[in-house]
Amino acid sequence: MVFKAILVALIATCSTWWFSHTVTRTWLYPIWSGFLVALVMGEPLRGMQIAAAINLPYIGFITAGGSMPGNAMFAGPVGTALALVAGLDYNTASVVGVILGSVAVFAWNAYMTINATWVHMADKFLEEGDLTKVRLCNYVPSFFVSLILNGLPAFLIVMNGETFGNWLQSFPQWIMDGFALAGGLLPALGIGMLLNFLGKKKLIPFFFVGFALSQFVGLTTMEVTLVGALVALIIYYFQNDPEKVGD
Amino acid sequence: MAQLTKNDLIKNWLLGYSSETAYNYERLQGLGNTNAFMPIIRALYPKEKQAEELKKYLIFFNTEPSWMGTVVHGITAAMEEQRANGEDVSADDIISVRSALMGPLAGIGDVVSQSICYPILAGICISLALAGNFAGPILFEIVYKVLMLTLGYNMYMLGYTKGKGAIVDLLQTGLLNKILDAVSIVGLMVIGSMAVGNVKLDLSFLEWVFPNALGEIKFNVQKDVLDTLLPGLMPLAAVLGVWGLLRKKAKPLTIILVIFAVAFALVAIQALMGAYK
Repeated sequence: MVFKAILVALIATCSTWWFSHTVTRTWLYPIWSGFLVALVMGEPLRGMQIAAAINLPYIGFITAGGSMPGNAMFAGPVGTALALVAGLDYNTASVVGVILGSVAVFAWNAYMTINATWVHMADKFLEEGDLTKVRLCNYVPSFFVSLILNGLPAFLIVMNGETFGNWLQSFPQWIMDGFALAGGLLPALGIGMLLNFLGKKKLIPFFFVGFALSQFVGLTTMEVTLVGALVALIIYYFQNDPEKVGD
Repeated sequence: MAQLTKNDLIKNWLLGYSSETAYNYERLQGLGNTNAFMPIIRALYPKEKQAEELKKYLIFFNTEPSWMGTVVHGITAAMEEQRANGEDVSADDIISVRSALMGPLAGIGDVVSQSICYPILAGICISLALAGNFAGPILFEIVYKVLMLTLGYNMYMLGYTKGKGAIVDLLQTGLLNKILDAVSIVGLMVIGSMAVGNVKLDLSFLEWVFPNALGEIKFNVQKDVLDTLLPGLMPLAAVLGVWGLLRKKAKPLTIILVIFAVAFALVAIQALMGAYK
């Protein structure tokens, strides 16, 4: 168990410490980071399903400029491991993921704040002309920050999984209902952040077009994407060179 | 004449994927970019000038580093090459081009990666995974990375080959904004579609039963009012509510707390209606 807990802790560490996005870019998402945990824990099938259930509230996940709707990087691996150790069902696991992700926003904020220290360190090394140390500043210290903020809690939660799971399951029904309701609302935060991020006033109607196509016409997101691409193309051509359209 | 090799360029592109290894609120990707430009600076400048030339990267910088923003680094590499060969390119020119491009490309890159590709892929792959199909996570990982690396590489090389010329085109004709608008339209339609079915707010617990002569009449707020007005009204209202808070500069963490407050207020209403007796 100790060995598995250490591996889970490392996965949780690297889900935040992005040493290279060629590897870690997808570790932001529970469906992948949770699946890695499932493999490590030796329960690929059940773990994969739990990871997917945990990912569901984070379907509208966005990090822009370092702010995010809940820490999915923590919720994914830790939630999956905890649910496997404590024997939680998918719905409870999803709710536990919401709780973990919401609390762990503090870990993310701390990570983003503490890391500024290494930039100041790098300033000094660059002034001295020591390029190798500048490179080390980029890679090394933030690993330990993430290890302490994410890896260590992950390790402790997995090691005490059964106790933790029993404690969670001893919550009265109304608390679990409250978290489940919050889990249903959480995607609104990610989608709202995307809307705020994209929402030039003149473009906002397209959000409602997408909504209407799915809600009233019943198109899937994939189908809406295709329609959207066509609409965007038409508008782009007309806007670009009105006289030339039709040539 | 100092010339960058294909090898230098590929190193620069790949090291760009470590832009967020020491991600921080103060300078975001500044340190990561300093690291990424080491091979370029080392190839172009004599040892005593290298540290000085790297200083222009250890400043505030933030773009989308994996999918589209790589074009900024490609353009920068071309400019560094010109500068090293004595052309009239100052350090400030490089900094201002990078600062001018980082915002729009963060926009385009984040829309493409986070508001189009991720939700579509996640939507499909989560369903597969929940149904017990291993293709779920594996497809997610492979498709995501293939798209990311293919786009990232081509955008980088596009930036390098077109160099400064690319920027003049992009900035002067307003092309960048037109592309951003076009991509945003797709993104907005995708997230509009995502609001359906993914955001869940069901008020069918608000039900009253009135006995009358024939038996009883049920009055359900969800079924009899909201669903007849506009199906999906409450999820849409939730998204618009969050958006309103964000426009008032509320922090995501604050909104998470608001969401929990709303959820537990609804639980309290259920409790008052006798759900937990």
